[in-house]
Amino acid sequence: MSGTSAEAPTPVAPMVQSIVERLGRGTRRMLAAVGSVSRFVWATVVAFRDTRTWAPETLEQLRRLGVDSIPLGLYIAAFTGIVLALLASYSFTGAVPLYFVGTLVGKTITLELAPVLTGLALAGRVGANIAAELGTMRVTEQIDALETLGYDPLAYLVVPRVIAGTVMFPVIVAAAMMMGIACGWIASATLLGLSSAQFVKGLRLYFQTFDVEYGLVKSASFGLAVALVGARRGLRTEGGAVGVGNAATSAVVLSAVLILVIDAFWAVTWLLGRAATAS
Amino acid sequence: MKRPNDVMVGLTVLVVVGALLGALTWIKRADIGTRRQTVIARFHDVGNTRVGNEVVIRGVIAGQIQAIELAPAGWVDVRMKLDRDVQLPADPVVLLNESSLFGDWQATILERRALPHDETVRQEIAAASGIPNVLPGTTLPGIGTLTAVAGQIAGDVASVAGRVKVAFDDQAARELRGSIRNVSDLSTVLTTTVRAHASDLDTVAVQLRSAVASLNRTATAVQRTMERVDSSASSGDVRHIVDDLAVASSELRRATTQVRDLTERFATTQRQLDVLLATSDSVLRKVNAGQGSLGLFVNDPALYQHSDSLVAQLRALVTDFKANPGRYIRLRIF
Repeated sequence: MSGTSAEAPTPVAPMVQSIVERLGRGTRRMLAAVGSVSRFVWATVVAFRDTRTWAPETLEQLRRLGVDSIPLGLYIAAFTGIVLALLASYSFTGAVPLYFVGTLVGKTITLELAPVLTGLALAGRVGANIAAELGTMRVTEQIDALETLGYDPLAYLVVPRVIAGTVMFPVIVAAAMMMGIACGWIASATLLGLSSAQFVKGLRLYFQTFDVEYGLVKSASFGLAVALVGARRGLRTEGGAVGVGNAATSAVVLSAVLILVIDAFWAVTWLLGRAATAS
Repeated sequence: MKRPNDVMVGLTVLVVVGALLGALTWIKRADIGTRRQTVIARFHDVGNTRVGNEVVIRGVIAGQIQAIELAPAGWVDVRMKLDRDVQLPADPVVLLNESSLFGDWQATILERRALPHDETVRQEIAAASGIPNVLPGTTLPGIGTLTAVAGQIAGDVASVAGRVKVAFDDQAARELRGSIRNVSDLSTVLTTTVRAHASDLDTVAVQLRSAVASLNRTATAVQRTMERVDSSASSGDVRHIVDDLAVASSELRRATTQVRDLTERFATTQRQLDVLLATSDSVLRKVNAGQGSLGLFVNDPALYQHSDSLVAQLRALVTDFKANPGRYIRLRIF
């Protein structure tokens, strides 16, 4: 370090050092985020033990997050089914029998569209609701008050919402599946001139119970992810009304992204694995 | 607040779950509480048949396939659930076949005598027959197999068509037309000829019959001859003939030896003759070349003339000697 033997630093060295520092900082932050999320998830799991705290609140959340969301899911599914039937008939121009409209509507609705579209819609409604509600409680120090009163905020606020999301998402998606197929059927009969027998023939042609199971399990994982993301964003809200808005926005965005990632995850791990086994 | 929540959530879950189960039951055509009859059929291979495919009798859907299981000895058992009132045809067999071009299969129950006229199908049905309470069945080729075969046939036809195209140009067509015309003319001529020679053909036929009769007689004679030969063989004549043949053979061998000696001698003589001829040729060549006394005599005309003159003088001398011997011979006794 003495000035007599010190060499003049080359211009490359500080740049490399900066890159390495940024890389290290990013890695640290990513690991910190993963660790924080993991701690949050683990704390929520631990909070399940406090049944007396979360059980009374769960029914309320089941109704608010689940039952009240059914009309939205049905609405989306109805129009999806109609459009899907029309798109299918448009694609099957002569070469493919029209009863394959039933096949396409049934398969697509049960496997993909009902879970994903309903999940994305509920990510907006449920995720934003949870984040805004908990965020408001955080900035108004209601959560601090709960802690002061000896309540575990995770058991009292998060667990009921996670249960509601995980349980009610499949219920909503199941209703959406039936609504989507029914509307596709009606659209085929009224707009395409396809007889009910033909539509049902196509619907039954490649139908498997697995399709419904796959869609319902997928939607349960979507509900879990949306509830967890909304709750975490809400609990970490800072800065008053603006913070609440930011928390709601980021919860919706992150939930939507997570839904698509989880959808791909299930497709790769379960659907692809099943297809490989069947072949 | 709690009570309405309970009712609302409970009702929602009940309704959705009930509706979902009902829809699944309807789509899968589950037969809850429905009495059905079970029929088992045996196959070597079930193709793309799956559980839930339709069972059809005379074109009417009569049930569906309930299970497909591997059976011992390389068989596959297909269990079908049929509507209770369905009557199976007499001597029933089961065919698995595609019901559309898009991969959906069905099981068709039909009478054995209504099977397609296909040897393979009938053999497979026969192989699967004979098991009590199990219907024999076989699988018809799928669209994929048929398409592959059709593709192969199409390729062969295209190949043949290509070859015909190469071989059958305009010139060939003209020649073929000419050939056809010639064949037509030939056919006309043949018809005329056949009509003209119909009676001749009758005659030929009669003669042919006569010739056949002669042949029969000849055959009888040959047969008799063979019997005689057989008799001779058995009486020892053949042995005598063979012995004579052996003697003749030894004599022939001896004669052959003598001929060989003669041939060798003749070869020696021929060689000596060759030497003689070569020597003569050499002498003649010298004579022709005018060498030696003989050559000079043959080739020198002056010598010949001198000799001729000498002979004439000798002849005159002899004549003179005969006429006047005393001039030349003086005889004294004492």
